[in-house]
Amino acid sequence: MRLLLWRAAFLGAALAAWEVIARPLNPVLYVAPSSVPGAVLRLLSQPDLPPLAEHLGITLRTIAAAYALAVVVGLGLGFVMGFWPLLAQAYEPIIAGLYAVPSVVWYPSLMLLFGLGPASKVAFGFLLGFFPVVLAVLAGMQQTDRHLVTVARSMGASRWAIYWKVMLPAMAGTLASGLRSGLALSTVGVLAGELLGSRAGVGFLINHVYNLLRTPEYVALAVLVAAVVLVIDVAAGRIEARAKQWSG
Amino acid sequence: MERVTVRVLQGATLAAIGLVWEAASRGGLLDPLFVPPPSAVAAALGPVAALALPRLGETLLKTLAGYAIAVGVGVGLGLVLGAARTPREVVMPYVTALYSLPKILLVPWVVLLLGVRPQAAVLGGALFAVFPILVQVVGGVRDVEPILLTMARAMGTTRWQLYGKVIVPAALPAILASMRVGAVFAFVGVLLTEMFAGIRGMGFLMHQLALAFNAPFLFAATAMISVFSVATVLWLAHWNRRLGAWR
Repeated sequence: MRLLLWRAAFLGAALAAWEVIARPLNPVLYVAPSSVPGAVLRLLSQPDLPPLAEHLGITLRTIAAAYALAVVVGLGLGFVMGFWPLLAQAYEPIIAGLYAVPSVVWYPSLMLLFGLGPASKVAFGFLLGFFPVVLAVLAGMQQTDRHLVTVARSMGASRWAIYWKVMLPAMAGTLASGLRSGLALSTVGVLAGELLGSRAGVGFLINHVYNLLRTPEYVALAVLVAAVVLVIDVAAGRIEARAKQWSG
Repeated sequence: MERVTVRVLQGATLAAIGLVWEAASRGGLLDPLFVPPPSAVAAALGPVAALALPRLGETLLKTLAGYAIAVGVGVGLGLVLGAARTPREVVMPYVTALYSLPKILLVPWVVLLLGVRPQAAVLGGALFAVFPILVQVVGGVRDVEPILLTMARAMGTTRWQLYGKVIVPAALPAILASMRVGAVFAFVGVLLTEMFAGIRGMGFLMHQLALAFNAPFLFAATAMISVFSVATVLWLAHWNRRLGAWR
């Protein structure tokens, strides 16, 4: 309880300090916290700005599409490679190597291939989210205790039963971590793509107000997006913790 | 035997992708304007190298500067926060929150503040790298065996000795791991800031090539930077192991 008070006090002090520093300075460069609520209201009410809810919706749908693709392809390829260890041995190093490449270097190529529309954002979000998912499946399958599988097989369990009853529970924690990282990275991918050039979405909106030098609105949007991302991440963290508990 | 099979499989897959791509692009299945055949990309490697290597050099210098800032702040603050329980518990939730936020949201502000200049890319790189470093160093210092600290204090060590002889050596693997991860983040931050703001460097060059629909050059540049990145990561991992062995 005291800790919570200290934390709140720290946040309050940080905001107050920033307010004092920013007040006398150029408001285009330094946005005082007190001017953010007004900017939020202007974002919601001013007709000269593109509608916020619509663009936020577009971004969330793009993230959902990118993440869904990443999960389906990641789980699919991961399980196929898990079935045939030879494939995993051959392709896991290639996938891990590609994962080591800083992801931004792919984006210009995706922009060229898929244009400035949502397709390039879905592709980038997919690419970023895919790697942690597929690598988590592989790691999870490799970490499953071989003895458990042998015991289950000797008791006459079918291949599917082994997958569902033995391997999945054993790897649930690892898998959930991978799925969570994948979601975070798909989100980053879509947002980065939108900020680097787009015609719709929250990133487009940020660029729009930013180019008008309406910095308080930009800060308000950044805080809003940050809050949405945090909520998603905390929810994913809860699910991950539960999966780890279940997996034991 | 299995090793050979794996190598053959890897080689055959890469060759097959290359051949199918080449055929599809030449045969008109893929528009060569967007997806040039690998042979055209390979032919572009030479001219691109002349164009891109100086830009890559500039980007790496900025990365180095941003990385140095991030290591200084991240490791320094991490050592202090990791060892001080109450401040750590007060501040860390905010650090973790910032760590998990997409740093690209801050890039426009950085550019506004510092202008379309290399300094903005440096700060962008530092911002991307500082949080992963800080979080890992704090974790590493926090997890130093308490008994080591108690023993050292009981023997009357000063604060500096405690850091130099106990905390830093014990947390070294975490510090080195954080610095390795941080290098990649700094590179990403610099590239993204260059792309966003149009600051001269490798990121902006690739962005320009994409907007100019110069697919062979862009793919060749992407291949170059990918090979370079993977080589760097492997090299860093190698050094990490050697430094870890010193302990």
